[in-house]
Amino acid sequence: MTETAIEAAALSKGFGRRRRKPALDDCAFRLPAGRICALVGPNGAGKSTLLSLAAGLARPSEGTISVLGQAPAAVRERVAYVAQDKPLHPQLTVADTLRFGRELNPRRWDAAVAERIVAEGGLDPDAKVRTLSGGQRTRVALALALGKRPEVLLLDEPMADLDPLARHQLMAALMADAAEHGTTVVMSSHVVAELDGSCDHLLLLGAGRVRLAGPLDDLLAAHRLVTGRADASLEPHTVVESRTTGRQLTALVRPEGSLGDGWQVTAPTLEELVLAHLRTPEAPALRLDSAREAAV
Amino acid sequence: MTTALPATAAPATGRPPRGPRGLTWTVLRLHRSALIVWAVVVLGGAAVLLWAYGPGADAAQAEWDRVCAGREACVWGDPIHDYDRLFRAAGLGLNWLPVLVAAWAGAALVGRDMENGTARLAWTQGITPVRWLAAKLAVPALPVAVGMTVLVLLHRLVSDAHPLSLGKWSWYTEDNFQANGTVAIAAPLLALAVGALAGLLLRRALPALVAALVATGALEELATVASRNLVPWETATGTGYQSPDHVIVQGPQGALTSTGARVPNPMCGDDGGTCLAAHDIVGYYTHYHPASHFWPLHLVETGLLLGAAALATAAAFCLLHRRTGAAV
Repeated sequence: MTETAIEAAALSKGFGRRRRKPALDDCAFRLPAGRICALVGPNGAGKSTLLSLAAGLARPSEGTISVLGQAPAAVRERVAYVAQDKPLHPQLTVADTLRFGRELNPRRWDAAVAERIVAEGGLDPDAKVRTLSGGQRTRVALALALGKRPEVLLLDEPMADLDPLARHQLMAALMADAAEHGTTVVMSSHVVAELDGSCDHLLLLGAGRVRLAGPLDDLLAAHRLVTGRADASLEPHTVVESRTTGRQLTALVRPEGSLGDGWQVTAPTLEELVLAHLRTPEAPALRLDSAREAAV
Repeated sequence: MTTALPATAAPATGRPPRGPRGLTWTVLRLHRSALIVWAVVVLGGAAVLLWAYGPGADAAQAEWDRVCAGREACVWGDPIHDYDRLFRAAGLGLNWLPVLVAAWAGAALVGRDMENGTARLAWTQGITPVRWLAAKLAVPALPVAVGMTVLVLLHRLVSDAHPLSLGKWSWYTEDNFQANGTVAIAAPLLALAVGALAGLLLRRALPALVAALVATGALEELATVASRNLVPWETATGTGYQSPDHVIVQGPQGALTSTGARVPNPMCGDDGGTCLAAHDIVGYYTHYHPASHFWPLHLVETGLLLGAAALATAAAFCLLHRRTGAAV
């Protein structure tokens, strides 16, 4: 059984009347439920646009996006979203902010979860939100998101303004909560290292298009980092990126069959995989998410 | 055998708090200071009008009896001046309250929420944007309508019970016109709707404030002018311009020809006869609304204001629905 958390088909979103350069351009991907998905891409790749479409905050210009099998606007109650700038009402106290969550999610609100996340940060419930630091606001925003017991949690650059310790602790709390409840998490970042180790699914966007999509292990397994002589041929393998230093060539390839002798082959890390694709925008995209759907 | 479940196994829902719930609570809590300001404004206005109705009127009457009764001319003192000033200030305040509401609705009610992203925060909770906007409009509309109704009723009370027979205080003068009827209640409701629409359209507090002020002012002015022309004018004719008694509003004036046609005044000046004869002018006319037109004028203008408010509200909902693809 693989339920689909998010699925997009021919999804495009442009801004302004002219729609000169769409933020998202003909995107298709499928995210199975229960995954922790890293949404990666350079600034301006369309990460925030994709998340706000999935949160039902905007309409696609073309194509469709469905969340939990329905239109995003129909499943607001089951989806939580934390925007990049962590908007909160500055005049409310922390306690009132959590009450805001309870009042607007009466059927789902779990006060214990929200209060625990706030308490772990040592926040005074009576402190006004406007007096909090950026990191503390992130904590309150996450408490608000987790308190509604979402089935899908959309996080836009969630950890950007946290110190390493708080980042580690909040990420651990988030992952534990997601694992316990089988929550699907989509977390965007342009810092790949931030996501390594916590994610099992990858969606790489570049210039509004899907570059890589699929289970992280499958994507990593589909690529090899090879080192060999500069004059050796890499036919018939798909070369994502190759660099020559002196007489030595290093390349990230998608092997089509055996790589043969003469190559030193290693498995790439997530960071190497992402950077190679970002440095070569012309490299062909790879989707392993739909194939898996048929296989399982 | 079963053992007692640990107490912590039950979901920690807590006692449901008393008072308003859901969106109503959030709107009241977020705009608590605005609500307090509004309460102060309404209570302050009511206090001024009640003072004018009771002690103020008594003191003014006593002063009138003391220095003016039975005399051709008189110079009165502070009690009458104070009464006059406060009553006029109350009427003026009532006329300007829609501006206050427009500014607040444009800047604070919706514009600020759009600007700092908290609108998106609300829309990703378990409620739809459409319900969010409905609460944003309905929750303030109630205290605005109730407060204005109280103030208008008190203003009418003072106006009707006016102790002094001086023309400029008559309830059918333009000064008191708006504050004595339903227009004063409809105008701030229009301001509320226009402010919300401006906030949604412009998505920033300050531009929305300015737009709401300008649009509300323009629409109010338009409704006033339109209502005067929609209610048929009374016409006074004579050899000179007439100024009938008990006029609320004086309308267009002009000249009459021998066939009874209404033409613009040719402005003949002092040379009289030949000029008037050349233009075939036999008299002049004046359009006006008498005091008996008070309610027709009020009801027509109120209808126009509420119609505009309904259009602005519908536009706001359409805009929100188009942007977010909101399911109801």
